[in-house]
Amino acid sequence: MATAARIPLGPSVDAIAARSTEAVEVFEIGYDSLDGVRIAGWYCVPRREHIPPPYPGLLLVPGYISEPTLPKSWAKLGYAAVGVAPRGKLRSNRQYNPGYPGLLVDNVVDRNTYAYRGFYVDAARAVDFLRNRPEVDRARIGVHGSSQGGALTITTAALRADAIACGAAGAPYLCGMMDAAGLTHSYPYEEINEYLRLYPEREQAVRETLNYFDGINFAPLIRCPMQINIGLRDDVCPPETGFALYDALGCEKTLHPYPNCAHDAGSHWEAPRIVEFLARHLQPAGALVRA
Amino acid sequence: MSSELDTFWDAVDAELARYPMAPELQPLPMRSTDSSTTYAVRLTSLGPYRIFGYYSVPKGSARAPGLLLTPRYGSVNHVPDYHDRERYAVLQLMHRGQRLADRPFAAEYPGLLTLGIHSPETFIYRAIVADCMRGADFLLSRREVDLDHVAVQGDDLALLTASRRAGFTAVQAHELLLYRLLEAAQVTDEYPIEELNDYLHTNPDSGPAVQHTLEFFDPLQHAPRIRATTLLASGDGAGDGPSGGGWLQPLYQAVGGPSEIYRLTHNGAVDHDWMDAWLARQLGGQPRSRFLEPV
Repeated sequence: MATAARIPLGPSVDAIAARSTEAVEVFEIGYDSLDGVRIAGWYCVPRREHIPPPYPGLLLVPGYISEPTLPKSWAKLGYAAVGVAPRGKLRSNRQYNPGYPGLLVDNVVDRNTYAYRGFYVDAARAVDFLRNRPEVDRARIGVHGSSQGGALTITTAALRADAIACGAAGAPYLCGMMDAAGLTHSYPYEEINEYLRLYPEREQAVRETLNYFDGINFAPLIRCPMQINIGLRDDVCPPETGFALYDALGCEKTLHPYPNCAHDAGSHWEAPRIVEFLARHLQPAGALVRA
Repeated sequence: MSSELDTFWDAVDAELARYPMAPELQPLPMRSTDSSTTYAVRLTSLGPYRIFGYYSVPKGSARAPGLLLTPRYGSVNHVPDYHDRERYAVLQLMHRGQRLADRPFAAEYPGLLTLGIHSPETFIYRAIVADCMRGADFLLSRREVDLDHVAVQGDDLALLTASRRAGFTAVQAHELLLYRLLEAAQVTDEYPIEELNDYLHTNPDSGPAVQHTLEFFDPLQHAPRIRATTLLASGDGAGDGPSGGGWLQPLYQAVGGPSEIYRLTHNGAVDHDWMDAWLARQLGGQPRSRFLEPV
């Protein structure tokens, strides 16, 4: 993070009229990150005549194979919302493109060049993008995502504990990674099983690297309120790892376990609870906040 | 619409038939296991354009049930699930524009859904459906596939593929995107459907042309040709909106073969296990839960 802090953000903000509406302006954004990689994202803000600033900031972080969110619906609620594409995702893959499958084990024997070293920083620097926007209230910036987005919610809230006001993480991935790989044959963790089937002699090196990137090890750094939801029959991110993450959090925290859910982690019921949680802590003008 | 539809798609089929499939299989040791061998597959589709797939075959059986997984909406499709690879000869297709099939054309997200939508001849889904048909041609040509048990699974693309290829015994469809798309767009601002709203907002006079185009790609128009046993996964909400239990009723009634609707419980593990068991019944396989009990 110290290395990243020395890199000027170099933000760009280009209006996309074709995707804007009467209530929301849409922008394509870019900024610089580690290793000279240019990171892309979408930025949506309420139109001033619809909801006047300042706005709480909300960072939406993507799943492993999903595209970054274009967060218009969040902007309608009153957030200045960024959907970020960390390195390797579409529009951020000109300089780094390990593919899917591939990202999870790219340089996994070396913590200094491992894929998620830059990936985590890319997500965290989206917070700096939001903090630099004049329409954003720096004291009210939250982060939310599911699966890999859940992992990035954890790491961003930890790496930017000074700047994040709350986080909602669904089915958090990248927690207890070696244990998780032993509990499932589902991708993406199956990439680790495949890698070690081919290179069993590298297990110790893989284990050592992953310890530096395990969300459970980031959890104690988080100071803001966190809400976690998990599926107790999740084959992608085994629930054992979600419980371990929750136990490691030292902040104000809430866990919503869903007994018969898999990697959906109860999203059908959890979605409105996430809206309510974020609204309670971030106070967007357009959202209804329950007393 | 029926004869116009048939003429349009017969022409696509005729054009596709002009290109040899030219399959190229490359074993992938990294994705293979003790119980299955996985290959990278490249095929020629309309254009000509080279598309990609992950194809996995169980070890140790003369013939295995076949399963075609049509591509999701997005840039990436996973390697087929481990449990499917143990039971089925399974092909996960990447259509043109998706990763591993993105040269020279790389799809944009958002953007793909409305690419060329002003005309059925230029709409990108004309070629994407052809890609799926080519994937079906490949799977149905394989000697290791039990041709009495072949299924296709996915969204609208699974239904359109089943309507254009008679070799499927079962089709399982969920999370439809092209079905009644204009109606769905009126009640959401979530992507990818919002792409259509963006397009109509930017091209306010395009409504009739877009409606005309989408009629050629709506599975409702193709359903009467489907003879495979069909399962549609439906929402359980009230009303006839996209999340409502009645949304798929017209499609269910239009399917030409035996069909049923599964009402999602939104308990993902329950829904997965039910749909997996349904597919296993159709293919003569054993149901599997992906969730491993800790030992």
